[in-house]
Amino acid sequence: MTPEFILGCIILIIGVIAAAFPRPKTYLSRLISLEIPGLGLLLIMIAYDEMLALLTFVAVTAISTFVLVRVIERKEAAQ
Amino acid sequence: MIALYIVAVIAVFAVCRASIEKNTGRKLPYVNVMNFAIAGAIVLLLDHPLSLVAAAAYFVGSTLEANAIASTYAGGVRRG
Amino acid sequence: MDDPLVVLFAAVAIIGAVSAHLQHDRFNKLIAVGITFGGIVPFIVDRGYLDVAIAISLIIPITTIIMLLICRRETCDT
Repeated sequence: MTPEFILGCIILIIGVIAAAFPRPKTYLSRLISLEIPGLGLLLIMIAYDEMLALLTFVAVTAISTFVLVRVIERKEAAQ
Repeated sequence: MIALYIVAVIAVFAVCRASIEKNTGRKLPYVNVMNFAIAGAIVLLLDHPLSLVAAAAYFVGSTLEANAIASTYAGGVRRG
Repeated sequence: MDDPLVVLFAAVAIIGAVSAHLQHDRFNKLIAVGITFGGIVPFIVDRGYLDVAIAISLIIPITTIIMLLICRRETCDT
């Protein structure tokens, strides 16, 4: 039970609540809230010394954010 | 060792002040204070030659982020 | 890293995460995500992964800047 693991679990739970029930119920606020469980999961991966998994996870999170921004942009343009 | 505690207390104070503040434009200076404090803490935490590079990378990245948010906030209000 | 220091940096991260949930404006949400990131980086550095800290410090602001593109678009529309 390192402090990284405990803090990562706390931030993961807060981020999951924030992403499941976003305060203004829009796509953009849900996308911004989706960053927080990513940071918590990163901290849990740090506690298990998985360095290659961590770099891959961060890169995939950035690329998926880019894809989701394109999707939301297209959805906003269609309305 | 005492310098690390001072830097951490400054970071916590800046975060509390930035969270309480209502105006978005007044939040950003406190976020900058927190970024300076964290960059100082990275250097003081570990005695390694690469920690200087890590602090420089964090400083550049976080300053770029805060300035991008400020630029978009100011431009969006004027255009809208 | 000893116990008071862990509590202080954990307080920074948790205040940022809770504040990101409670804020209504999207710029305030982005600022709170930046604060959470600032609270997490000292733990990564303390563990000894300096190269990971360098990579993350350069990737997370790019993600925020990508998200700012859609923020500007919505502000122009309304």
